[in-house]
Amino acid sequence: MAQRTKIDARGAFCPGPLMELIAGLKLIEVGDEIEVWSSDKGSAKDIPEWVAKVGHEMVGVEQCEGYDSIVVRKAK
Amino acid sequence: MTSQPLFILLCSGEHEKIQMAAMMASVGAVSDRAVHVFVSMNALAAFEKTASPDQRYHGGEFSRLLREKGAPDAIQLFEQGRMLGDLKMYVCSMALDITGWGEDRLVDGLFDEAMGLTKFLSEAESGQFVTL
Repeated sequence: MAQRTKIDARGAFCPGPLMELIAGLKLIEVGDEIEVWSSDKGSAKDIPEWVAKVGHEMVGVEQCEGYDSIVVRKAK
Repeated sequence: MTSQPLFILLCSGEHEKIQMAAMMASVGAVSDRAVHVFVSMNALAAFEKTASPDQRYHGGEFSRLLREKGAPDAIQLFEQGRMLGDLKMYVCSMALDITGWGEDRLVDGLFDEAMGLTKFLSEAESGQFVTL
């Protein structure tokens, strides 16, 4: 079963949440997921764009109170 | 499709321009794109290894806000780009000659080598070129 790691990047400014996600992806296995919490307004669009470009998989983006929850599955 | 490499010529000592160079370099490098940064002129001082953030970064209103709000540090962004992606950093050999600085005066491990502008321009013919 896929493991999910949470990264709380709330309060970090661009490109902090993306860089934290990328660092986190290096530490997990293919098929596992990372959930990034970001209050940076660009992350909800920037992270899916990056995920599509480099070949990982978006699981979803959810708007929460004051931040976005962005879930990415490591695909390679 | 392979992305065009990105070549950034960083000359300005303004914090805002150094920050944008660092953002472009780090995000580009972790996005399956080769990025090459050439540091020269007033930008050199921002890379002195013993400098404090106050000595390193000078700019206008946005510089103040970047520091007040705790935006990612530009030097750390360059370091992350190197660690996580395909980022190469070069220091201008002319700038070192003019200042009398050795490469050992720059942030440890950040630069690949000193390079002349002619070689950088030659390599940049294959990519997208941005000057800051």
